[in-house]
Amino acid sequence: MISAAQLRARVGVFTLSDISFDVPRGEYGVVIGPTGSGKTTLLEVVAGLVPQTGGRLSLNGRDATHASPDTRGIGLVYQLGYLFPHLSVEQNVTYGAADSAFAASIARRFGVHEFYARSVHSLSGGERQLVALSRALARKPDLLLLDEPFSALDPPRRAAARREVRAVHSELGLTTLHVTHDFAEAGSLGDVAILLDGGRVLQSGEPADVFRHPKTPYVAEFLGAENVFAGGVVNEGGEAVFHSGPLAMHVAGSAVPGPCHAIIRAEEILISRAVPSPSSARNQFSGRVIQIVTVGPLWHVTIDVGGASLVAALTTYSADELALSVGDTAYFTFKATAVHLC
Amino acid sequence: MLAAVASSLLLLFLVLPVVRLVAAAGATGAARLWSDAELRQSLALTALTATAATLIAAVCGAPLAWLLARRAFRGRALVAAILDLPLLIPHPVAGIALLLLLGRGSALGSSLLSLGLRIVGTPLGIIAAMLFVSAPLFVSGAREAFARVDARLEGVARTLGDTPWHAFRRITLPLAARGLIASGVVSWARAVSEFGAIVILAYNPKVVSVLTYDRFTGFGLSEALPVAAALVLLSLIPLTALRALHIEDGAAGT
Repeated sequence: MISAAQLRARVGVFTLSDISFDVPRGEYGVVIGPTGSGKTTLLEVVAGLVPQTGGRLSLNGRDATHASPDTRGIGLVYQLGYLFPHLSVEQNVTYGAADSAFAASIARRFGVHEFYARSVHSLSGGERQLVALSRALARKPDLLLLDEPFSALDPPRRAAARREVRAVHSELGLTTLHVTHDFAEAGSLGDVAILLDGGRVLQSGEPADVFRHPKTPYVAEFLGAENVFAGGVVNEGGEAVFHSGPLAMHVAGSAVPGPCHAIIRAEEILISRAVPSPSSARNQFSGRVIQIVTVGPLWHVTIDVGGASLVAALTTYSADELALSVGDTAYFTFKATAVHLC
Repeated sequence: MLAAVASSLLLLFLVLPVVRLVAAAGATGAARLWSDAELRQSLALTALTATAATLIAAVCGAPLAWLLARRAFRGRALVAAILDLPLLIPHPVAGIALLLLLGRGSALGSSLLSLGLRIVGTPLGIIAAMLFVSAPLFVSGAREAFARVDARLEGVARTLGDTPWHAFRRITLPLAARGLIASGVVSWARAVSEFGAIVILAYNPKVVSVLTYDRFTGFGLSEALPVAAALVLLSLIPLTALRALHIEDGAAGT
């Protein structure tokens, strides 16, 4: 378990302030944040390499506020690997390992044994990351701290390394804190997501919950939410309706009237060329398609609704089926529960 | 073109006197090693005292260099200034200062004398003078050698179970070793070439630089030349050592 309460630290002019989060024992925590948000510093504070200036850190139930790095039971993997350049690959992997057979098995799992004999200097960036991962895991740590550990791997090896790390995490019962700025990685790996920006935790919780229910418009935009509107909720005949410029949308009945922001994830919006048949989706909009772009495996279609833009996401297959073009008229529908207010 | 000419002229100015000296008396100097017992003793004394001064500088200076490279502490700028001091003051002045501190008339000098340690006019005085002028060079070089080792490597070693000392011994020391040896060699060469401070603190027994001066003032240029040439040959040892280590290009570190 990694439990931080009001954690503070300073490196030069950068400060981490009031960092609070919990990654329960055996769970996989993902720290997401832009460059310079303090992700690496946070890992170094948890590792004991950067001293805390305040707050409390508990690792597996023990107060680790003043514990030295060698007694914390951690494995740390930096993005750049930080392999020991005067040692061989094998010596790097076994550096902190008490059980050489286990270290060898970890090296095999990550394919590192294939270049055991090579010099550290001859390794590619991806190979360095795999050696650094193996070195950290070979020690059988209780806690694993990963700082963008797959960033230099090509996509197939990255996917394989992710699967392997998740598997070792489960087998060893590790508690992991993994820094990334890849939302897909965060969604697929994490049990707990921690959003960090400017040295502060913006939000933490289950990834699905954080992605669907961002606490602030900033978090929503940070997480890539396409439809964020400023406006307010009013009660219209016993129903809660959110208004923002030309848009009026039904929201969950529990919404409290007053100014707020509405967030609708593009994936929650259905798109059609014909007038949709009545369904439980209470919000319907029609408009002219003003933009169609690809975003990874998805297509984002933007329509203009009386001057406001709404974005819906659809798969390549659906996009082919609909055969939409800029200038066409399209219909967007989504449920009242898809509108998240904050 | 102008820059090339200027650079060549400076290089010639630096190398020609030494070449001229060795050409004029190198062979005689080498021959004198067999016939001149005083020169042999002087060379041995110089090498031994310089080695002792370098070892003291290394043992006491390496921790200081590590602290300066790794830790931000109150008074760090002051420590750095103190280390620059011996490089800035004229060396006879350094000799006089050391004489005041360690001479028979001083409290420290008389205390050491009561313990049987005479400084002035002994090899200990030579070592003290050499240490004063060469230790800052060692600390400065060692500090750079430590700074070139990324602190995150030590950090990773700590997370892998190393105590601070083990991380230093297993990671930092091996990676800084070339730089430390280079600093030691430079420090040793500086100690060998010292004259100003030594001549005041310990004219006798004579190190080679003092012997050169002594022969020059007592017997003239012809007698001083072979000794001077022998000193140049002794000074070539560290230069050769540096080349053998391939560290003259600053390739030490990570």
